[in-house]
Amino acid sequence: MKALMSVGALIGVLGLLMLIGMIFGVVPSNTVRLVEGYMPMQVLSELAIFVAGFAGLSYLANSMGMTIPRFWQGVLFWAFIQTYLKFRIYPPIPFSVRAMYGVVSFVAVFMWVSANEEDWKKFRQPILNVLDANTGFHKALRTMYLILLPILIGGFSFMTMKPSVDEPIELRTVHPAPPASTKVHGKTYTLQTSQNPYRVNLEGKYDQAYSNKLIVEQGMGRLMAPNANPWDDKAEGYLKYVREGGEIFFQNCHFCHGDNLNGRGLHAFAFNPIPANFTDPGTIAQLQETFIFWRVAKGGIGLPNEGFPWASVMPPWEQHLTTDEIWKVILFEYWHTGYYPRTWD
Amino acid sequence: MSKFRMNAKASPVIGVAIGALLLSASAVGIGHAADLPEGFAKGELAPAPPAEMIEAGKRVYFTKCVWCHGVDGAGDGPGADRLWPRPRNFNQGTFKIRHTASGELPLFNYNERTPDSGKNDLFDTVTHGLPGSAMPPWEGILTEEQRSQVLSFVTTQLVKDRKFTDKQSETQTILQLGTIKPAEATEDSVKKGAQLIVDKKCIECHGVEGRGDGNAFNLKDDWGFSIQPANWHKCWNFRGSRQDPYNVRNIFRTFSTGVNGTPMPSFADSTSVEDRWNIANFVNSLCERDEEGKPLGIDPLTDKPKINFVVPSMAVEGEISSDPENEMWKKQGRRYVAMGGQITHKPRNFVNRIDDIWVKSLYNEKSVVYLIQWDDRTKSIAEGKLPWAPTQVNVENFGVKEQAPKTGEEGSIAAAQNNYAVYNDAIAFQFPIKWQEIPAPFKPRYLFGDAKFNADILKWEADGSLRSFKGTGWDQDFEERDDFEEKVKLLKSEWKNGQWTVMISRPLKGSKDDYDDYTRFDIGKYIPMVFFAWDGHNGDAGRKMAVSAFYYTILQPPIPQEVYIYPAVIAVGVVFLEGWMLTRRSNKKKGKVL
Repeated sequence: MKALMSVGALIGVLGLLMLIGMIFGVVPSNTVRLVEGYMPMQVLSELAIFVAGFAGLSYLANSMGMTIPRFWQGVLFWAFIQTYLKFRIYPPIPFSVRAMYGVVSFVAVFMWVSANEEDWKKFRQPILNVLDANTGFHKALRTMYLILLPILIGGFSFMTMKPSVDEPIELRTVHPAPPASTKVHGKTYTLQTSQNPYRVNLEGKYDQAYSNKLIVEQGMGRLMAPNANPWDDKAEGYLKYVREGGEIFFQNCHFCHGDNLNGRGLHAFAFNPIPANFTDPGTIAQLQETFIFWRVAKGGIGLPNEGFPWASVMPPWEQHLTTDEIWKVILFEYWHTGYYPRTWD
Repeated sequence: MSKFRMNAKASPVIGVAIGALLLSASAVGIGHAADLPEGFAKGELAPAPPAEMIEAGKRVYFTKCVWCHGVDGAGDGPGADRLWPRPRNFNQGTFKIRHTASGELPLFNYNERTPDSGKNDLFDTVTHGLPGSAMPPWEGILTEEQRSQVLSFVTTQLVKDRKFTDKQSETQTILQLGTIKPAEATEDSVKKGAQLIVDKKCIECHGVEGRGDGNAFNLKDDWGFSIQPANWHKCWNFRGSRQDPYNVRNIFRTFSTGVNGTPMPSFADSTSVEDRWNIANFVNSLCERDEEGKPLGIDPLTDKPKINFVVPSMAVEGEISSDPENEMWKKQGRRYVAMGGQITHKPRNFVNRIDDIWVKSLYNEKSVVYLIQWDDRTKSIAEGKLPWAPTQVNVENFGVKEQAPKTGEEGSIAAAQNNYAVYNDAIAFQFPIKWQEIPAPFKPRYLFGDAKFNADILKWEADGSLRSFKGTGWDQDFEERDDFEEKVKLLKSEWKNGQWTVMISRPLKGSKDDYDDYTRFDIGKYIPMVFFAWDGHNGDAGRKMAVSAFYYTILQPPIPQEVYIYPAVIAVGVVFLEGWMLTRRSNKKKGKVL
């Protein structure tokens, strides 16, 4: 038991040191990278490791006769959660969201320290001690609090009231509701019934089951399925169209959406809203192919107002590409990310 | 083909001859460390990767790399012709970022998978990408093993003119960067470096202030494509920055080994290690920093400086100085505004050479002044009169065309880069007219407004003109507004050592008190703003330009009095609360609970 707890304590100390190092810029902040798509899992397991570490630490301190009072355990743990959220997570969480997490973790800590009568007594004892100020030390502490609290609260309200020039927060709908139909190059496409004319099997019939077998494999790297190389001279039908779509993508789209379709192209850093990340399960993976067709053909300027048409630099691709080229690019995007387009049924 | 250097596509005979020479030189050199440039040591060629690594790497290559680097690795994939710099042509084995001596192959060992070990140059290039080019960092996308696999494929199958394992023709002379102690960036070291870059003629290409504006238009790489010297003020765009742009070691490495395939030589033979550190420290000191001299925060998602979308304007009393060195300007912080190519409507600008501008602003009771500074290697003023009117937006009919997707190398952007017709350098910014009536977050479209919400546009051109326009849509010609032009003022426009400084003053409102025709600046309000920039030597004109996202400008009001009063009241309240609590507690203890 003791050995186990020591290991836990060691992990806790190491993790804390790393976090502190990252905050002060001693340890490079990319030492343990948050990998896109795996981030929630990573964060949860990291927190679990920390909790285990703290349990070990507290056990060890206890067995060495240096029990950390329940009050400080609670306060420190809450402070840790705040620090972790502020410094570990990237891109940074806005303050309002962090405040919400702060309240939730406060409630959690409160429930933990007040789980039973004895714990609750232990928790509030230090507070009462300071209030009563029976010893010289507590008296000094009380005086300090009495002076510091008004100053801190007054200062905090001054900081919040001082006019600041923060960016106004504007929330945009990323996937607005599509129209029932869209007219591209003189032809009307009903979104519910249209199909990608290039998602076909070797007989030339629309066949999603066939194309699903040939897309790249999910998992790290997302590599092409074995024996399904679109660059093979003998590649025919679907795979040949994928290559043609890829050529169009890398002549037009990668400048913003990136070489790995993750929204990190050459020009992406300059634009706001940032280009869509197709490898994120929240974009094309949960949309129908015809929705993408509408978005590609009509571009940013074709968005309804909730999508901020004035700010998006997404071109209305009907100005640059033929309808066939648009369908092929869409085919390529699903192939390269390894996602299936959502169907209407 | 005559443009290739010896190491690129020399005949096998010459290759063998050189190999023999090198071999004999190294044989003689054993025991004479003095023959090696200072800081270098002889190394062994790495073992050949096993066949299964190469086969696995092929799968990675044809999923991720082929699109730019091409089926045969000749840097001629479908994406290549619209890129500048062009994707690397692997065939000659010429690689830029290395720890090895000039002309040698880079370090690659399929077994060495620690990032930034200094033992695996190609692995680090794939891991961190090449900032300032289209090559992205593949870390977090490809596993370490996959990166190693794809490099095994590239180095054995696509590098055709040289062989990584051929002891007859290849040597490895490795910069011992791990063991050389860096010289501290003391004032003395930086000062020595500043003198050395003059003595070593660095400024001939990189320019007097290091903005890459020296010999910018005569330089070509081994394949005959236009290439430009690095701008030392934008270290985040250094190809070899390894996502750690302010690290002086990267500069030391590039300076010691040179950049193969480009006119940048290695200075290892002619410069002592100490002097190399001095130069590296000086170059590093030029990279843009914040007001306190600290490195700019770099956004790890983009590897560019972090962006704040608000351009604040500070109030000043009286006249606003036209001298950027004046105290009132120096006190005001500047903002980094990122610029991307205009890629929404034809003619699209795939390669914008202006990728950021720096903006400061001041205002007084009459006008608001914007000080805009940006790096441009060339001062461009069109010769003679331009064939189109200043109001004309659709200039495609006058030869301003976007790059065709498939031209072959000869017609690519990289080949055409030096041959564009020269137009005017220019800068412009737009505000919504009647923003007071547009409910947030609605805005006139970023590209010259739209029919419903018009844009108030000010455009300065390098021919000295400053014009006021009304924009009503991306494809609508501007409406010129002479009556307002009399009131806007060009306080300064100067091109010096690769940098434009332009200062533009405009009235806070039109002649009437309304805001129907001109943007009226109300204090303390967020007013949307978009910037546009044209590089005349890049063939930029009309919609072929660089453009920013929406920023906000705000005239910062003086701090109102309540801000001082309320917190004091709150603090006093807290004191009372404390008193009440203490009294209550002591009463409770004495048993006098109410």
